[in-house]
Amino acid sequence: MHAQMTHVHPLVFIRRNRTLPVPGVVTVRTGQKVSPMDIIAEVEIPTRHYLVDVYRSLGMKTPADAEKLIDRKPGDLLQKNDIIAETGGMFSRVIRTPGPGKIVSISGGRVLIEAESRKVTKTAGMSGMVTEIIEERGAVVETSGTLIQGVWGNMQNGSGGLVVQQEYVDGELLPSAIGLNVRRAVLVAGFCKSPEALQAAAAAEVSGIILGTISASIIPIAETQPYPIIVLGGFGRFGLDPFSKKVLVSSSGREVAINAVKWDRLTGERPEIIISLPSDGEPYPVEVEYESGQIVRVHASEHIGKVGTIQKIIPGLTRLPNGLRAYAAAVKFENGEMGVVPLANLDVLHMTSEFLGPTDEGG
Amino acid sequence: MKETFEANSVLGIDIGSINTRAILFDVVEDSYHFIASGVAPSTHIEPYFDIGQGVFDSILRLQETTGRMLLDNDGNLIIPSRIGGEGVDRFVVTVSCSSLIKIVTFGLLNDVSLNAVNKLAYSIFSKVVESIGINDRRPLHVQLDAVLAAEPDLILFAGGTDGGASRSIFRMSSLIANILEIMPPARRPRILYCGNAKLGKRINDGFSRLTQVKVTRNIHPTIDDEVLEPALKDLDEMVMDMQQKKLGGLDRMAPLCSTPPVHSNQGFHDVIRFLGRQYDPAKGVLAVDIGGTHSVAAYANHNFSTLHTFGYGLGTGISSIAEKSEIKNLMMWSDGSHSEEEVMDYLWQRSLYPNSIASNQSDLDLELAATRHILRLIMRDLEIRSALPTNRFEPILISGSALNRTITPEQSLLVILDGVQPLGICPLVLDKHGMLSLLGAAGRLDPLLPVQVLESTAFTNLATVINAVSSAKPGSVIMQARLVYANGSYLDAEIKQGSIISLPLASGEAGELQLKMLRRTVIEEVNIFNEPFMVRGGVCGVVIDARGRPLRLPENAEKRRELFHTWKFMLGGK
Repeated sequence: MHAQMTHVHPLVFIRRNRTLPVPGVVTVRTGQKVSPMDIIAEVEIPTRHYLVDVYRSLGMKTPADAEKLIDRKPGDLLQKNDIIAETGGMFSRVIRTPGPGKIVSISGGRVLIEAESRKVTKTAGMSGMVTEIIEERGAVVETSGTLIQGVWGNMQNGSGGLVVQQEYVDGELLPSAIGLNVRRAVLVAGFCKSPEALQAAAAAEVSGIILGTISASIIPIAETQPYPIIVLGGFGRFGLDPFSKKVLVSSSGREVAINAVKWDRLTGERPEIIISLPSDGEPYPVEVEYESGQIVRVHASEHIGKVGTIQKIIPGLTRLPNGLRAYAAAVKFENGEMGVVPLANLDVLHMTSEFLGPTDEGG
Repeated sequence: MKETFEANSVLGIDIGSINTRAILFDVVEDSYHFIASGVAPSTHIEPYFDIGQGVFDSILRLQETTGRMLLDNDGNLIIPSRIGGEGVDRFVVTVSCSSLIKIVTFGLLNDVSLNAVNKLAYSIFSKVVESIGINDRRPLHVQLDAVLAAEPDLILFAGGTDGGASRSIFRMSSLIANILEIMPPARRPRILYCGNAKLGKRINDGFSRLTQVKVTRNIHPTIDDEVLEPALKDLDEMVMDMQQKKLGGLDRMAPLCSTPPVHSNQGFHDVIRFLGRQYDPAKGVLAVDIGGTHSVAAYANHNFSTLHTFGYGLGTGISSIAEKSEIKNLMMWSDGSHSEEEVMDYLWQRSLYPNSIASNQSDLDLELAATRHILRLIMRDLEIRSALPTNRFEPILISGSALNRTITPEQSLLVILDGVQPLGICPLVLDKHGMLSLLGAAGRLDPLLPVQVLESTAFTNLATVINAVSSAKPGSVIMQARLVYANGSYLDAEIKQGSIISLPLASGEAGELQLKMLRRTVIEEVNIFNEPFMVRGGVCGVVIDARGRPLRLPENAEKRRELFHTWKFMLGGK
């Protein structure tokens, strides 16, 4: 059975497409070194318009008659109260612009004016090198370093120095954790259910928060924070898995980039943490089958949040304690406990157990 | 000369948002039968981005189950079948793993064309992100900005009877043209025009320079007539074409299909329409499918049918019920052993991992509570949309993996009854293999196939349910029932207000039920007059549900827990 994977790698080769949703201007060139917040591409998206109906306002017989009175063309920039059209004659009637803007089109006796737009940008999201330009959309950025995939993000991105405080890595993020020393830092915590902690982090201008889990009840607050929040394990209080924790603890003090997007399985885009390193990593596999020896994390139901090693894939369907039947594996958890877990509830964190040392090491 | 077809095995593949299902039908003793099914995780998502692997795996599972070779050594489907029995003769595909389509509807009058065009939108997995009629009081530029902000994938444009209003249609067309001009070409929505037929060509010519446009039959050819069928078909084709471009591997598979791939919704609708013509015209058939991203409900009687899609599901669609207001309602179906926070966490986690399995009783209870709540929401929304001409159904068909992976049929039955809360007398049927939509699609090849398979044992008749309503005090006897078996023996039962009981009657077996109503008890829209009437048994026998409508659940969790336990016990559970 094909395995569901969450990549947690201390050192791998990472290649990412950074593209705009619509065509725009690419601002980098091939071979350029980029930092996480460097803009790769940008575009102005119109958001507010005026539609000035000259035909009806002047009571013309046909739209074509109205257009003859319009002494403007698409692309013209207008100030408020500029004249768009006038009838002429002794009692000339004029149509003026309701506000400043740029003429988009003139048709059917109507003038469409773009009044406001917003800039949409795509940032590099990691330190690396631009290796390919994707015309009008963005670029491919490559690096080697640490990769930790998450499951949820608040749609922000950012970067900063990783600050790992043992007290919070193993427990709850509380407002008291947010001191003066966290400005521009990326904090790590086991879980968070305190809206006040998130708000205090915003006030202290943190660069990001990495959480093992988050209480779903504070999602609305998390989504309004100006800094990235990435959740690695999911919703609840089960906290950081030991494997991710170990990688994060060993990266303390390094510059981390957080791309806290929503997980979209249709596009493959996933929230992730990237820590660029001055070493060369190998590409990581994207498809594997469940097999003995893999390090897995339970993401649902019984044993949720636990990490262990697959001892055996149980052939055929297994009857679960609640009576349901499912394809399952025997898993040995970190504490030595054994459990039978449906394969559908397992996320492969790594292919072999060689990386899973004692998890209290270094932190 | 048309080639005659002797061998008639049909392989159906339903590509769902979570699982891909391969179902084999074949002719056994002159009639189509369901042979077996194989299920594998769908692979349209990461890391494959191609449906092929999921289809291949599901066929492999089917091969393992049946021992019949369906794939050749290169992994290709053997079609047509060979003399040795390998392969299949026909191949159909239905798709329900499509992404949400954002729709903007344009119409003239709110109660006429706009209402009708919104019904059209309900038929596909979509969200109407803006709706604009001629009575919209917002200035044009505000309407324009609203549509731009909504970033639609599709515009449904209706209005005017045939030969009727044209000026308003053209004004609206100008607005749509302005919107399209502003949008980057690659992001422009397609347009389905279903208004005044006389303007169809001009509308087509006007828009085709900007985007892909399709003109279909007017959904309101006259002010009194609403004709959705042709537009439904064209809308489905249009959306299928959009999906085919997004869904990796479908374009590769389509040429193999004996009929073009269809949305599961449409296959589902087709088969329910067919069933609607077979049963009591005063009632009609109701079918509900609870999927991963979305759910579907179809209703049909002899001369009317309707198809509705809802953004509720037990996979990623579960996040739609994870809002605070909905959590409270959902929690009424739980026994109080979970806090609100735990339920929210469960739902959000489930939305991240839609194919996860409840491996303990506590999570299974939550999953079934969510299923009940989704069924309630669907019934509520159908009422809000005024979608159903009656609230009596014969039968009610339910499909969805959550209901098929319960531990006992009684558990499924109780979930369905709690969720749908039907009235009158209705047989409950479970689509245990999730094949309804494939039957609809296969029916396009051979109408006999769905007929014969529906008559077979491929579906589980859960029970015939008699829903009694009374205002008597809980615990008082409201009905006396006598079930007379074919061999003349009988079983008497007293039904108390607030109870639910099962009278044993084997699946498919007929019996005569005689009911004596007490204390002004009624069975909605059914005149009993103490006359016996025939009922058919199901795996849960004949069920008399006297718990009242709507079901009232105690606020107190402890009392609720007791009540759930009692209901389960009454139906033979432990």
